[in-house]
Amino acid sequence: MICFFLRAVQYTEKLHRSSRKRLYLPHLVLNKACLKTEPGLRWGLHEQKTARPGCILGVTPRAIWTQGQGPQRAKEDSSKQVSVHSQRGETAISTAQKVKEAGRDFTYLIVVIIGISITGGLFYVIFKELFSSSSPNKIYGKALEKCRAHPEVISVFGEPVKGYGEMTRRGRRQHVSFIEYVKDGLKHVRVKFYIQGSEPGKQGTVHAENPESGEYEFRYIFVDLETYPRRTIIIEDNRS
Amino acid sequence: MEEYAREPCPWRIVDDCGGAFTMGVIGGGVFQAIKGFRNAPVGIRHRLRGSANAVRIRAPQIGGSFAVWGGLFSTIDCGLVRVRGKEDPWNSITSGALTGAVLAARSGPLAMMGSAMMGGILLALIEGVGILLTRYTAQQFRNAPPFLEDPNQLPSKEGTPASSYPSYH
Repeated sequence: MICFFLRAVQYTEKLHRSSRKRLYLPHLVLNKACLKTEPGLRWGLHEQKTARPGCILGVTPRAIWTQGQGPQRAKEDSSKQVSVHSQRGETAISTAQKVKEAGRDFTYLIVVIIGISITGGLFYVIFKELFSSSSPNKIYGKALEKCRAHPEVISVFGEPVKGYGEMTRRGRRQHVSFIEYVKDGLKHVRVKFYIQGSEPGKQGTVHAENPESGEYEFRYIFVDLETYPRRTIIIEDNRS
Repeated sequence: MEEYAREPCPWRIVDDCGGAFTMGVIGGGVFQAIKGFRNAPVGIRHRLRGSANAVRIRAPQIGGSFAVWGGLFSTIDCGLVRVRGKEDPWNSITSGALTGAVLAARSGPLAMMGSAMMGGILLALIEGVGILLTRYTAQQFRNAPPFLEDPNQLPSKEGTPASSYPSYH
């Protein structure tokens, strides 16, 4: 009995030592597949091979190299989990073991599905924001193009004219404020952003409205200048 | 407010660099503490010493990598804002891709492209989270959408009464 355990301990030690070399191959593959790795660790990996992707993914390294070995060694390694009489050379896995493994696989599957659905949802949001023609960002882009092409705006503000939205805490001004409302059965989007030119001290607020039916029609676009007295430059007025 | 009156851009780089460094040090510190704890010999004093050692050696390195990433990203972002003249989510995604590419430059063009894709996708996800948060927290404060009149700066078409500004979000 005792020499059995001693041999098992010896085998696990040998496997542990030889696993150091095999760890590099699976972890490089895992790293390329893993999108959620912190960027710092990713860059660090090229120089230092001590990162442990296993801990990040939640799968212990022991599980990684266990699967890389042959079934005999895997069994000898998992001798701690299975009872001793499996050492007699049985190749069948007991049903308790099967149920445990199936449970583990199922849990991993659930985690993977949750992760994929969250990532998919985020991608959908970002695609809708960037590529759909009725997103506030697109309307802001088109209105800014029209403002830049307008001669009165150029004469007041000076070239080049730059546009930005609301200031958030971190100092990034990407969020354009907007309202969606329904009028006469049509959805309208109203957008407000700021422009600034190379003339110092001149800032303007641009209001634009776009019905969701047409891609390139604007109901109105006008620029509100912050000068005193207030001046309004009307760029487009298509209210029927 | 004073800080909103000035242009954010060049100072944003320092801001982002420092923020990224802090994130890296704290996150890396936690991870390395756990790892050092686990990899130390048995006995609580060995484990604590191993943990502290791992944090002391690796946490500044991780913080430094994060700071490089954040600083480079912010620099490219500000550069793009200056060139394009408008602030967009596109700037962030492109900056992320370029940062990924530049940081993998030592490993050759193929690694650069893979890295650029990862950086771009990572930033697209972060932007998606940002957009979701902004939209949904703003929606909480919106009351029932009023019937909106046209703004009173436009010349009135049929003499409709001017109304006050609706609340934007």
